[in-house]
Amino acid sequence: MDKVGARLRVLALLVLLMFAALTARLWFLQVLATNEFTSQARDNSVRFVRTDAIRGRILDANGDDIVVNQKSREIRVAMDELLASGRAEEVIYNLHLLLDRPVEEITRRLESNKYLPYQPKPIAEFVDPHVEAYIDEHPRDFPGVEVVHASVRKYPQGRTAAHILGTLGLINAEELESPRFRSYGINDLVGRGGLEQTYERWLRGEKGERKYIVNADGEVLRALGSLEPVPGNDVQLAIDLDVQRIAEEELRLGMDRARTLTDSDGFTLKASAGVVVVLDPSDGGVEAMVSVPSFDPRWNVEEPTKEQRKYLDNEQLSPQLNRATQGRFYPGSAFKVVSGLSAVKAGFATLDGYYPCTTEYVHPGDESGASFGNWKPSNSTISFGQALVESCDTWFYTFGSDFYFHWLNNQLAKDGELMQKLFREWGFGQQTGIDLPLEDVGLMANADWAEQHPDVFYRGVWQPGGNILSMIGSDYFQSTPLQLARAYMAIANRGHLCRPHLADQILSPDGEVVRRISGKCDKRLPGYTEQQLAYVHQALLGVTERGTAACAFGGFPLSQIPVGGKTGTAENGSKQDTSWFASIVGPVSDPDHVIVAMVEQGGFGSQTAAPIVRRIIERIYGLEPNPLGCLTTQED
Amino acid sequence: MDLVAGRVWAQERRPIRHLDPVLLVVSLLLIVVGMFLVYSATHQTLAADGFDPFDRVKKQAVTAAIGVVLVLVIATFDYRFFKVYAGFVYAATLLLLAILQIPGMASATGAYIDIPGAALLQISPAEFSKIGLLLVLSAMLSELRTPQPELRDVFRVCVLALTSIGLVFVNSEIGTVIVLVAITVGILVVAGTRAKHLAALTVAALVLIFLAFQTGLIEDYQADRITAFLDRANSPEDARYNLDQSLIAIGSGGLTGRGYLTGTQTNLDYVPEQHTDFIFTVVGEEFGFFGSLAVLVLFAVLLYRAIRIAYLSKDPFGTYVAAGVASMFAIQIFINVGMTVGIMPITGIPLPFLSYGGSAMLVNCVAVGLLLNVHMRRFK
Repeated sequence: MDKVGARLRVLALLVLLMFAALTARLWFLQVLATNEFTSQARDNSVRFVRTDAIRGRILDANGDDIVVNQKSREIRVAMDELLASGRAEEVIYNLHLLLDRPVEEITRRLESNKYLPYQPKPIAEFVDPHVEAYIDEHPRDFPGVEVVHASVRKYPQGRTAAHILGTLGLINAEELESPRFRSYGINDLVGRGGLEQTYERWLRGEKGERKYIVNADGEVLRALGSLEPVPGNDVQLAIDLDVQRIAEEELRLGMDRARTLTDSDGFTLKASAGVVVVLDPSDGGVEAMVSVPSFDPRWNVEEPTKEQRKYLDNEQLSPQLNRATQGRFYPGSAFKVVSGLSAVKAGFATLDGYYPCTTEYVHPGDESGASFGNWKPSNSTISFGQALVESCDTWFYTFGSDFYFHWLNNQLAKDGELMQKLFREWGFGQQTGIDLPLEDVGLMANADWAEQHPDVFYRGVWQPGGNILSMIGSDYFQSTPLQLARAYMAIANRGHLCRPHLADQILSPDGEVVRRISGKCDKRLPGYTEQQLAYVHQALLGVTERGTAACAFGGFPLSQIPVGGKTGTAENGSKQDTSWFASIVGPVSDPDHVIVAMVEQGGFGSQTAAPIVRRIIERIYGLEPNPLGCLTTQED
Repeated sequence: MDLVAGRVWAQERRPIRHLDPVLLVVSLLLIVVGMFLVYSATHQTLAADGFDPFDRVKKQAVTAAIGVVLVLVIATFDYRFFKVYAGFVYAATLLLLAILQIPGMASATGAYIDIPGAALLQISPAEFSKIGLLLVLSAMLSELRTPQPELRDVFRVCVLALTSIGLVFVNSEIGTVIVLVAITVGILVVAGTRAKHLAALTVAALVLIFLAFQTGLIEDYQADRITAFLDRANSPEDARYNLDQSLIAIGSGGLTGRGYLTGTQTNLDYVPEQHTDFIFTVVGEEFGFFGSLAVLVLFAVLLYRAIRIAYLSKDPFGTYVAAGVASMFAIQIFINVGMTVGIMPITGIPLPFLSYGGSAMLVNCVAVGLLLNVHMRRFK
């Protein structure tokens, strides 16, 4: 075997040579020439191209599209590149010719200070394909100009539900710096206002990413791994487009009709603004939410024209203000169900008790001569129910005085401000928690408020009038229409103060339910028995049958479709009265809807708001809508 | 008395007593190092594509575990048992190669047999053909009556080798062809083939290679890679790209490397096929010259043990098997590392134990099992 040993030694020698060669080569690469390779490694770089996810849709309760997506070619200009080229004027002129848009408009949008210095500014949307082709072919004529294929919003229902939707806007400097938008890039759109903002994180989806290797010259050498974008989830609303459209049409119709009527001073009613809210009392779902004046959400997809801008920015109209959640109004008599029940809970009144309804009311012990009047002459002793049916003001004043004395004697106690505490339990003076941003809390004046408003309360001291007038939703008490609707919902469902919600569920792109939005109806309003709430509901049925809304509901089949409601006519300083009607519709044991209508400067509740609600009910239930026209003289 | 006698018997007769621990430990070390390298080379890309970053490592671990069992199984039977069945093993590997030629049996790239119903299981027949050829040549040459192989023996060897090589070649696996040639030459040399026969074989091989290029049997991209290796400046970008990125990766590692999982060339996927053929670039970039040297030392120990086992074997079959395994590992290490550092042309040869790949891992384990087997039974 010695020969074998010799041959194996040859093999071993070969192997040794082999390792020597590899080691020598490695020494050269890794020790002698390493600097050159290190710098080459640095020149290699990877470019990340992010691909946008398709944003989720907004659907109505039946799955019909309210907000979907469409493609838009957008022109964006990187200012630093444009200015660095030293040819800004020439480029703007070229863009003017190419886009056929006025130079002023282009410069105005270039001067927008909404964006960070390095963030490309959008100057035109929905440009033609030939514009993109032209810019691509003439890069030297357009330094800093890029054409971005953006996915923008489309509103197949037009102006319907404009106030709740919100818009998309290019992320601004402030947002870019906030941690909430950490994963956003400088070219990203974000939801602004409305549902787009509330459900941003669901609608948005996840971006995809493509990696390319580029060499030192920036040429793409090849594509690396890519991550496909994940489309956003759809938001399905409790809003029923049919109900929404009915509410919108009837509110406008009712407001138009109001403008043919005159107020008690003989002036034509202005009917300057209005709201309708329709809630499902079983779970707090918002079936319709209308605010007038309105606007067209399509205006915001592109930059609005000058005329549109002027209209949108008109402070008197405030067309973009969602008055249902962002407007505060004196609820007037429509508030009496809450203030009366609060007096019952406080122990000042009972359901079998009879209390005076007089023409004038003077706070006990007040010798200043100040008196609070009823809206009509009266001198009787009536129950709570009757007080609601007749909408007697002075009946409620008595308990305002009681609340005042309670405060006077318990100023330092925790619940010294018992009236405000009880109102708060009904959701007033706080946000309802609806899934819309920037909700107003209304006004609930108290001793602190008085101190801050010495112009209203003499020397900043809380007065009996603060309690007395708050009892009828006037002077020192304001509510959003939604807050009032929510309180009526709690009466309708016998004590569940649900959270109103526009969205019902979040759906994945393939239609599976990702998340249900709950109204949190399981909690009960504390301290009210079902009997008490049923008593009020019965009283409200009396209002349409024989009370202040009897004329407005004349001929309505109340036995088939029970409607309980309360009118409200709220004085509003120098303006005309605010007209209210808040109602509970459907079977008494299990009502279908809570509908609240409000028309600013609309006159009496029975005159404008109640007929609007009547016609909405008629159309929802498929009845022949009653011609608007009970010329009621019922003031409240 | 009985007890003492029994112990002596055990020492002398029980093969497990003569296990080569160094070989076993080095093999296991290489397998473990390989998993770390595969993770480094794949985790970023896997994560970016939304997969489990450990996906490849897990698969490699499964095959490695099967491989270790295989080592033990192979080491258990007396290796002379394989001599008896060498012909069958060889025939079986040829059959597998032939199956690839049946339309519909091969995977998309043509190099694997997809096992129906087991998506993870792909068999690469070319890998297994190495073992088949190695065994059949060792068996044949160990049965010679003459002290040296005569011309007809060399001719028989060539027929056996060329059958395997031809079937592998039609699948365009040039790398495996080279390994098969190396196994054949290694065994022939150790078996004492005359120099003139070897010289004649060399000439014949050169003619064959020339013909292969001339007739277009070598595909363009393969030719491109070879020209890229020989003449970097004037070769197409694509062909140069792999080599350039590989050199940048290894060169930028420097003496001590950039640190595990921090190599930019590695993490950003610059080096193609990095977890398979270019796994050594991970070592070079992330562990530098010292790391590369450490890996080479592990391989050197592996080869040293293989050649030592060939020397210690008491019968020619064991010697030839061990020498064949040594040749197989040596050529793979040299060509694979050589191509990543630019001293060998780029051919698809995996680095033993380190490259990701199931079939190769199993074949390497079988080879180590054979070595252990020969070592354990060297006194019989």
